[in-house]
Amino acid sequence: MSCIASLTAVEKSFGTVRAVDGLTLAVAPGEIVALLGPNGAGKTTAISLLLGLLAPDRGEAALFGGPPRDAVSRGRVGAMLQDGGMLDGVRVGELLGALRSLYPAPMTVERAVNLAQLRGLERRRTDRLSGGQAQRLKVACALIGNPELIVLDEPTAAMDVEARRSFWDAIREQASAGRSVLFSTHYLEEADATADRVVVIGGGRVVADGPPAEIKATVGMRVVRVTLAHLEPAQLACLPGVTSVSTHGARAELRTTDSDATLRALLSGWPTARDIEVAGAALEDAFLALVAA
Amino acid sequence: MTAYLTLELRRALRDRRYLALVVGWPVAAYLLFSTVFGSAADRAEGLDPHVEIMVAMAAFGAMGAVLMATGPRLATDRQSGWARQLRLTPLTAPAALLARVGAAMVVTLPAVCLTFVAAVAVKGVTLPAWEWPVMVVVLLVGTAPFAALGLVIGNLADGDSAMGMTTIAYFALAALGGLWMPPKVLPAGMRAVAHTLPSNRLAELAWRVAAGHAPPLAAVGVLAAWSGVLALGAVGLARRFAS
Repeated sequence: MSCIASLTAVEKSFGTVRAVDGLTLAVAPGEIVALLGPNGAGKTTAISLLLGLLAPDRGEAALFGGPPRDAVSRGRVGAMLQDGGMLDGVRVGELLGALRSLYPAPMTVERAVNLAQLRGLERRRTDRLSGGQAQRLKVACALIGNPELIVLDEPTAAMDVEARRSFWDAIREQASAGRSVLFSTHYLEEADATADRVVVIGGGRVVADGPPAEIKATVGMRVVRVTLAHLEPAQLACLPGVTSVSTHGARAELRTTDSDATLRALLSGWPTARDIEVAGAALEDAFLALVAA
Repeated sequence: MTAYLTLELRRALRDRRYLALVVGWPVAAYLLFSTVFGSAADRAEGLDPHVEIMVAMAAFGAMGAVLMATGPRLATDRQSGWARQLRLTPLTAPAALLARVGAAMVVTLPAVCLTFVAAVAVKGVTLPAWEWPVMVVVLLVGTAPFAALGLVIGNLADGDSAMGMTTIAYFALAALGGLWMPPKVLPAGMRAVAHTLPSNRLAELAWRVAAGHAPPLAAVGVLAAWSGVLALGAVGLARRFAS
């Protein structure tokens, strides 16, 4: 089976709201896929469908070529949900120990604690963890079973910068051991930095699907920022390669598919141009352009 | 599944408020009622009043332990999102339910046993040795309808209102079921109501054992009927919320 997880033309409505509208998505073995989209794009619904927590109105959700619930009950999937909570009144170590015993080939509690940066908190009660610590415990719960597929819904919400960095290190390590990872995020730089492939969704549909670099290329590869004495946006937009122009006071921001040609034309037309910066477009730019399109 | 049952048990036994309520109260109520009403000559079931009240309070404690361990806790787990998270583990929904109910029924033991200990130690109650373990078992197994009722409440209510709903159900069933005052002193209409209630029938199981008899089939039938109806209700509600 070459496909670990797939959604095929799935649709799901809640009342009159169509949360997922003909979404098709696949995760290959060992792949890290980012599900990227604004709030309300259908990310959480798509993940719930994939895990069998929701049944699609139309289309098919499959894990390892079979019904999602089969894969879940065999312990082949580890997941954390945005609205998933923790059992209260038990210690971190006890909870992980009990969960561990449910899986056929789990990792040790110690390893899960290390991966999720929970060292020293094993004896802490789950209801006395901070927001970031609770989030890390959810990560440990998703990893403890040594699953073949790891599904994470907005995993780094409530994590500080340091926790986020070590979290992504742990996830990359899991992927390099051959596990597949699907995560949703609105931290666009995370999708860019971590994923092999980015699936952008908006309005319950796939808007773009490809490597982060390709996603960026589809909407202009570079951003040129420049300060000009006289801003003439209409003329700037006519420069070679420029796809869009935005202005902030005396400063213009040009998105371009060919920054070299744009710069040559810019300097000959506006010799007094200063403070020129050329940067690769952040995924956020790609994302906003795609969703607006 | 065993590990998860252990986890649920730990959680219940670490909850001091819960233990104080479900263990402390029946023992205290026993000592109070037994002291105040213990000299009344004519009590229910042809038993010594100290024994009759002991069994009533043990039943009161057992049903409270099970109700409090199922209803509010299930509601909390649903509200916190743990119920959803648990559906992503290999633990099946029926196994999770069994662990929850099993743990709840096990925590009836301290309530029942400590009430018995208080009766023996403070009020000098004596019964044939075989009756004690049989009473413990029938009081444990007989709490099944209360576990099912707790699951109904836990599926209906959110974390805050579940405690209130459970407490109301607990006290109403105890009072109307004749655990606080024996059905015998109640008007005929209320006595008829009491006999339809699982609280009364739960106590009846152990009253009959204390009197040296087998638990009556009618009581078993009423408890089984309540268990069945409430369990179907709980499953129906759980299905509705799962989709």
